[in-house]
Amino acid sequence: MISRRGWVIGSVGLVVLFVVLLSFTYMASYPEPGDSARYLAIPLEDSGAANRVAGIYLNTRLFDTLIEILVFSVAVLGVRYYLSHSPQVSLPSLSESAVVRTAAGILGPLALLLSAYFATFGHISPGGGFAAGVIAASAVLYVAIAQGMQATERRLPPQRVATAEKAVLLFLLAWVFLPLAFGRAPLSELLPRGTPGQLLSAGSILPYNILIAVKVFLGAWLVIAAFAQHRGEL
Amino acid sequence: MAGHVLLALVPIVAVVALTQSRRLSAIIGMGLLSFLLAAAYLVMHAPDVAITEATIGAALVTAIYVLAIRRTGRLTVVADEVPGLLAREGDRVVGLEYEILRGFANSQGLDLSIRFVPLRRVPWLIAHGEADIGAGGIIPLTESIDPLDATPGHLDTGVYAFDARDGRPTSELAPDYDGYFSELQSKARNGLLSSSATSLDLARVLSLSRGAPLEGLDRLDGRHGYAFLVSKERADLKRELVRYIESLRHSGELDRLVARFVQ
Repeated sequence: MISRRGWVIGSVGLVVLFVVLLSFTYMASYPEPGDSARYLAIPLEDSGAANRVAGIYLNTRLFDTLIEILVFSVAVLGVRYYLSHSPQVSLPSLSESAVVRTAAGILGPLALLLSAYFATFGHISPGGGFAAGVIAASAVLYVAIAQGMQATERRLPPQRVATAEKAVLLFLLAWVFLPLAFGRAPLSELLPRGTPGQLLSAGSILPYNILIAVKVFLGAWLVIAAFAQHRGEL
Repeated sequence: MAGHVLLALVPIVAVVALTQSRRLSAIIGMGLLSFLLAAAYLVMHAPDVAITEATIGAALVTAIYVLAIRRTGRLTVVADEVPGLLAREGDRVVGLEYEILRGFANSQGLDLSIRFVPLRRVPWLIAHGEADIGAGGIIPLTESIDPLDATPGHLDTGVYAFDARDGRPTSELAPDYDGYFSELQSKARNGLLSSSATSLDLARVLSLSRGAPLEGLDRLDGRHGYAFLVSKERADLKRELVRYIESLRHSGELDRLVARFVQ
């Protein structure tokens, strides 16, 4: 049996070892990043996305991104499955202070706006679907803190959200395999690429970002709702 | 340069987060670590990764951790108020039992959360695992109070019954009344006390009799002491709590607290 102290010392040792190894790699590759030059050499018109990162993970490496979305879906399923076996909390809830509630009420809509910006401009400037979805879920968390979990769950009932989350995932997969119907390889681009830097450009990257944002938002909200129901209250 | 400073801070903050005994502090440390990483990514010209790290690591994961430990990192105490032992004073909670429980929670690395509930609800909440400890002037009268367990008394007291013909109150846990102590106070002012309570303890009798002298109360024989209620399934919690109270007794701290809150 390893004691608590043993665990802490062991973990600290592992972290230090990891950091030392990492710093060697860092010193070897900085400021000349080795492999990234290959990606920078890809012409901008290839994906049509002014944000090269979006161009890589939603065009060149779209398959990797799809698997990541599936991993996230499995994580949401796992949280909901395991927490559904633990009892629901029924103690009177702790009320947050008026300062927290007011601040949360102001921050919620602002975060939602930021999320919409990241989702729609992710192919032009830093951002993207994943970050946008998580910010939207945080925005709803703020609303839940301001107005109460029960009121928020009435508006976004977890059962319906779970169905919608899977529907969005299916829609995304259908979109990715749609080129097959036109006699082209799956994951290839169907929409015009446009002029890099314009809002309507980069082909499917804009709809991908929006779909991923919705999918991640619904999934993250399900996780938050499950934890709030079974492990504590807002 | 800024990137080097941030990267040097990362292992330091990681070690600080790992070595915190309070879970909430550890989670805040993890959030700080995420912010540092996000700043480092930003300095290294990776704004996309920085945004994702900040939103997921610092916001979402921190929120989920906080929700996850809301029960486990917390020592939930349910109690009815008793002036001197555990009572509200403005925004604060004060009293002998509060000081004991606060010290115990600190020693266990837990956050103390006190919820005031009607006295009758206390045993039910403990028995159903909704709270960890029942407090607020509880006196176990019989040895067996299934499925609950009580610590040995931490303060001697007396039990007073309104109708002492059969020699004991109806409940196995004195005092015995419905509702909150505040309701009892208003009933005492209106002279309706004996209709809502069958027995009371010394601390409540003293507090209630400040307004008007109480009549018709008989002190029961035998030695009685205030104790904390825990579930029988939580033997480890009881053992730690008893050990903590014993250490307070040996160091003389318990006597000092008694002198401070209970005259």
